[in-house]
Amino acid sequence: MYEFVSGPLVWVAFIVFIGGMIIKTVGYINLSKKKDKVVYNHLNLDWSMRSIFRWLIPFGSRGMRENPVLTIAGFVFHICLLAAPLFLLGHNILWDEAWGISLWSMPDGVADWMTLFLIAAAIVLIIRRVVLPEVKIVTTSTDYILLAIACAPFITGYMAYHQWMDARTITIIHILCGELMLIAIPFTKLSHMILFFLSRAHIGSEFGERRGTVTW
Amino acid sequence: MAEAAVDTTEDQTVDTKVIKERLDLLKGGRFKMWLEICAHCGLCADSCFFYLAHDKDPKYMPSYKVMKTLGELYDKKGDVDRATLEKMAEVVYGDCTACRRCSMFCPFGIDIATMIAAVRGICCSQDLHPAGLKAAIQNYKDTGNQMAMSSEDFVETCEWMAEETAEEFRGLEIPIDKQGARIMYTVNAREPKFYPQDIAEAATIFHAARENWTMPSNGWDDTNLAMFAGDGKTMAAQVKLVYDAAERLGAENIAITE
Repeated sequence: MYEFVSGPLVWVAFIVFIGGMIIKTVGYINLSKKKDKVVYNHLNLDWSMRSIFRWLIPFGSRGMRENPVLTIAGFVFHICLLAAPLFLLGHNILWDEAWGISLWSMPDGVADWMTLFLIAAAIVLIIRRVVLPEVKIVTTSTDYILLAIACAPFITGYMAYHQWMDARTITIIHILCGELMLIAIPFTKLSHMILFFLSRAHIGSEFGERRGTVTW
Repeated sequence: MAEAAVDTTEDQTVDTKVIKERLDLLKGGRFKMWLEICAHCGLCADSCFFYLAHDKDPKYMPSYKVMKTLGELYDKKGDVDRATLEKMAEVVYGDCTACRRCSMFCPFGIDIATMIAAVRGICCSQDLHPAGLKAAIQNYKDTGNQMAMSSEDFVETCEWMAEETAEEFRGLEIPIDKQGARIMYTVNAREPKFYPQDIAEAATIFHAARENWTMPSNGWDDTNLAMFAGDGKTMAAQVKLVYDAAERLGAENIAITE
């Protein structure tokens, strides 16, 4: 079982994730070139870049400044989401053993803290979904499920590292959770990972070039 | 909500085929992506003055309005009854002005207001746009302006204003259909109809600036209520009318009032 989830299933997960996102992204760009011609008359990538940049830094936009709790929770969540798996020693050892490549690794204690911060941020996100009426009204079960799918690799990863139960079992579960998350990305709103850049590029140019105003 | 924003037309049915066609047309590029990546974060709420003015009633928040209209149309593949479509028309004509503030506040830059406008187009295709806009659209089709003013009446009004204003500003003219002007000036149709002094005042400015300007005898209305209604065809035709006038007169620039 361990060999299966850490072998062939990894291939499947990454092919679906990377291949899926490439197909999606390229697909949308091509579709857009055909159906959104009005956008390309005045496309200004300078305005696009500025819009993207302002929304990638904490409090870079007015919306972020007016919603500080969400901004902090969102940035903590996303930074830990990306940094912990990429720079985890355990993961990089696996990459090194398989392909002879690896990234810089952080101390395990730091990774531990990142995991806990991510879970805390996720709790904030859940609370605001339940408590704020304007968020509750647009919330569907999918929103909770996707948050669970995103957090599961971290919770199980923490458990695996600290060996809270039989190491082999929890590690298998952790790997499965990670693979589930990767596979879910191209098929759900998690695709905003890449598509955020496309939609911001459009609106940044639309408002900047054609209206001379900012989108942050 | 006070009065209904739209006419109820119980005797008419819904042309699902037309709705489906429009949904398919829209579902290319931006629209498809926007509906997919909306994270349901709720940040658009505070940007919407309808939401704020209604004491933060969540039913008025932008992404909810889209979910209940465009979202539902896609879910049901356009197969909705007239009563449902009428309710949607109430939302997109009565609970939103498509000001696009929500589009500026969305973290993903989703153009929420444009999706509302797209639903207006669908409602318009089913004759569900507000009565006042219907009347204006008919006027555009008949006379090229929303006030159903004839070219003769328009030119006469301009001549009258020029005469009156020239008493105070010697040599002032309101040139109609002058060739090769630097500025072709267009107005809101209510100006010649109800507030001709606005045209006189603009003429005063042009006169003082010694501007080379003109107004066309036809194609002088720069409003476009067809756009508000979601009637894409009439909207385009009205814009073309103004543009063609500028081309015909060889004008360098088109200036709009307001």
